[in-house]
Amino acid sequence: MHGRVKVKTTAQQEEEKRKEREKKLKIYVAARDACFSKRKEGVCDDEALQLTQQLLSSNPDFATLWNYRREILMHLETVKDPDEMQKIYEAELSFLEACLKVNPKSYGSWHHRGWVSARLPRPDWARELSLCDRCLSLDDRNFHCWDYRRMVVKVSGVPVDQELEFSDRLIGSNFSNYSSWHYRSTLLPVLHPQTRQEPPHASSPRGPQSHRVCEEQLLKEYELVQNAFFTDPNDQSAWFYYRWLLGRAEREETISCVYVSREDERVAVAFSRPINARCVGLLLVLDGQPLRVEWRSVHPRFRHSPVLICDLPPGTINDVTNEHNLTVHWTGNHTHRDCALYTGRVESWCRDTATDQELFRSELSVEKTSVLQSELQSVKQLQELEPLNKWCLLTIILLMRALDPLGYEKETLAHFQTLKEVDSMRSEYYSDLCCKFMIENTILKMEYAEVRVFSITDRNLTSLCHLDQLLLVTHINLSSNRLQRLPPQFAMLQCLEVLEADNNFLENLEGVYHLPRLQEVSLKNNKISTLTDLQPLASCPELKRLDLRGNPVTQAASVESDLAELLPSVTDLLL
Amino acid sequence: MLGTQIKDVILKPDAPSSLLLDKHADYIAAYGSKKDDYEYTLSEYLRMSGIYWGLTVMDLMGQLDRMNLQEIIDFIKACQHDCGGFSASIGHDPHLLYTLSAVQILCLYDSLHAIDVDKVVEYVKGLQQEDGSFAGDKWGEIDTRFSFCAVATLALLGKMEMINVDRAVEFVLSCMNFDGGFGCRPGSESHAGQIYCCTGFLSLTGQLHQLNADLLGWWLCERQLPSGGLNGRPEKLPDVCYSWWVLASLKIIGRIHWIDKSRLRQFILACQDEETGGFADRPGDMVDPFHTLFGVAGLSLLGEEQVKAVNPVLCMPEDVLQRIGLQPDLLS
Repeated sequence: MHGRVKVKTTAQQEEEKRKEREKKLKIYVAARDACFSKRKEGVCDDEALQLTQQLLSSNPDFATLWNYRREILMHLETVKDPDEMQKIYEAELSFLEACLKVNPKSYGSWHHRGWVSARLPRPDWARELSLCDRCLSLDDRNFHCWDYRRMVVKVSGVPVDQELEFSDRLIGSNFSNYSSWHYRSTLLPVLHPQTRQEPPHASSPRGPQSHRVCEEQLLKEYELVQNAFFTDPNDQSAWFYYRWLLGRAEREETISCVYVSREDERVAVAFSRPINARCVGLLLVLDGQPLRVEWRSVHPRFRHSPVLICDLPPGTINDVTNEHNLTVHWTGNHTHRDCALYTGRVESWCRDTATDQELFRSELSVEKTSVLQSELQSVKQLQELEPLNKWCLLTIILLMRALDPLGYEKETLAHFQTLKEVDSMRSEYYSDLCCKFMIENTILKMEYAEVRVFSITDRNLTSLCHLDQLLLVTHINLSSNRLQRLPPQFAMLQCLEVLEADNNFLENLEGVYHLPRLQEVSLKNNKISTLTDLQPLASCPELKRLDLRGNPVTQAASVESDLAELLPSVTDLLL
Repeated sequence: MLGTQIKDVILKPDAPSSLLLDKHADYIAAYGSKKDDYEYTLSEYLRMSGIYWGLTVMDLMGQLDRMNLQEIIDFIKACQHDCGGFSASIGHDPHLLYTLSAVQILCLYDSLHAIDVDKVVEYVKGLQQEDGSFAGDKWGEIDTRFSFCAVATLALLGKMEMINVDRAVEFVLSCMNFDGGFGCRPGSESHAGQIYCCTGFLSLTGQLHQLNADLLGWWLCERQLPSGGLNGRPEKLPDVCYSWWVLASLKIIGRIHWIDKSRLRQFILACQDEETGGFADRPGDMVDPFHTLFGVAGLSLLGEEQVKAVNPVLCMPEDVLQRIGLQPDLLS
């Protein structure tokens, strides 16, 4: 029951209403029972049409009655000629129009209308389209009607540009119309597709967002949407649409990194998207020979992971005097990556870096910096008029990231601070987004410096992301943040030797799981309170040094002996 | 410049602010006894779901034993058709919506043995289309809601492998929109109810990684209005049931902390009727079992300790799912 206001009534009114309802109930039940018994007997006559019409007029959600009507209509098709059927179906459409006037949001009525329209001997799609026009002029957000319109457009071949003009008209009369903006997002990629030369296998159909719009049209759309948000800067529809226009470029499906460790006789592969180890079709070729290996995700919690690992058969590559050439083929995607392990080397890798790929700058896919620069200028203009407008602030942050994530870092952080204040309900969203951007910046800095050390300390970090980008990192320092857990994704740090995460709120170390090189872990001043919390560490065979000072667990009675039993490899334990 | 009038409600200072569990239990227990009521009769076409709403909220409140088990099981059995599907009520036609409700109720009562499970599976399987989508019944209406009903039913029966899951996933993903959300069919506008169905579907099929969780999470957390309530689409009024669809979706994609939980709690509590018990869509409106379930389930997801933990994917008590060994994926 939606939107029915509760009204106070007197006892007398109540009694009158009760009597009235009783009367209505009798009529209703009689009609219903008559329908049911007719149907049971297989009767398909006019009276049945009358009875179902009477009931459906007041209760169009009674799906079974629409079914009965369809049975009757289908029966009539076998006994009447097409002209007669045309009349009968036209009458049905008139009845439906009346139903939709009373209840424009009934699934049953709209579905039945679609069914009737499809069976009409001489369909009149123009009439259906104009019905949609009228219905949307009464409620331009009625998604049932929008869906019906889409069906009519498809079946009757209405040109896409005509529909785009329709959405122009609706937006012109009311900018605040999310349904129309949505409609544009589906029409533009069809009408003005991006003409990027791509091998056919590189783009798989993964939702409409993968279909981008050509740049010329994008510029026109920017103008339209700017008109909208300059007219009403608090209208979220336009801002959502704008963020889509500026949307992240689709990443190609590639193998982004192959890492091989001689000592562990292990291969780790990073992909541009999470994949399932079991069904993906990976082939490992070592020195020209295909090798049977078992690929697995880095943590049992993931069926899909952007990093997969496999162990090579013992003795295949462990002789340091041998050189090896390794290729990983991703057969489903016709893509592969080579990696050479030279004599005397204990490990090797081959990869695209985040900086090579402009991974984080491609948040916005428009390539021309000048366009983004002028977009930033206009949104900044608006912000001067509306200094506390959250949509404006967020968009400025996104544009700055697209232009120069490191150069604008300071301004970005300041804007995030303002955002959290002006829109405190969503402060955790902004915190997480800010964390994500800081992690991206730290990855960029690390890669520019060509080091394998990732350090992000004292930045109020609440969550971790992009851990697949840290596959090669040997030292990580996350100290003095607000982290509560090292999530399962943390197990993607396959090369990690030293982990520092002092002064956080860590209580869950689930992701410190089977890290083959991990030797030192410092977790001073966290919230680790039980031995069970430390259980994952037992899966790291090389762990030598563990600092747990300032954690509740150190207060437990037999903690030292318990830890010695749990983590026998640790020789340097600080409690 | 024009200012947008934000569509929202204002919570009155004297609105209920504590959870009136006893009143809600009494309201639900009494609801089914008004069988000759006009309004009750009008809603016969969705009775099976109505029973699911009532029983689930009673179970969450620890009051399931007040309901008439035998009467309900007999009713469900009488609603199974030769094709294997269930209808909302006796004399009505079978449909996926009510097939899921019937299976959910039987799981609550640990009574799946009372029906012919294989036939249910056949029914669900038979409704899958070439493109992977599901029709709601033999009349062919296609909707991502039905994709959810199909996989939820099969997951509860432990028979997911009986359909073409890859195709089903492909269809649902083809309904993903520019905002990361989902609609009824390819090209349909995003809607919190459909998003719940599609995120739930992707959870049950182990495909949550296909979502753009950050983008979708942003759209979802923007559903929260100054009153604390959530709407189902931009520029719409808040509603207790949308509070559930949005909140459960956020929980599934691991981003429930992106909304202001205490303000939402206040809004949901304000939708209680202190006189009759039950929850309405908005403060001051008429209550019904549908909003009563989603009010209580929403509070459960927000951490309310007086009610049982609810599963965000199936909207059933966690202990029931533990019993049948079903643990749908959630993003962390």
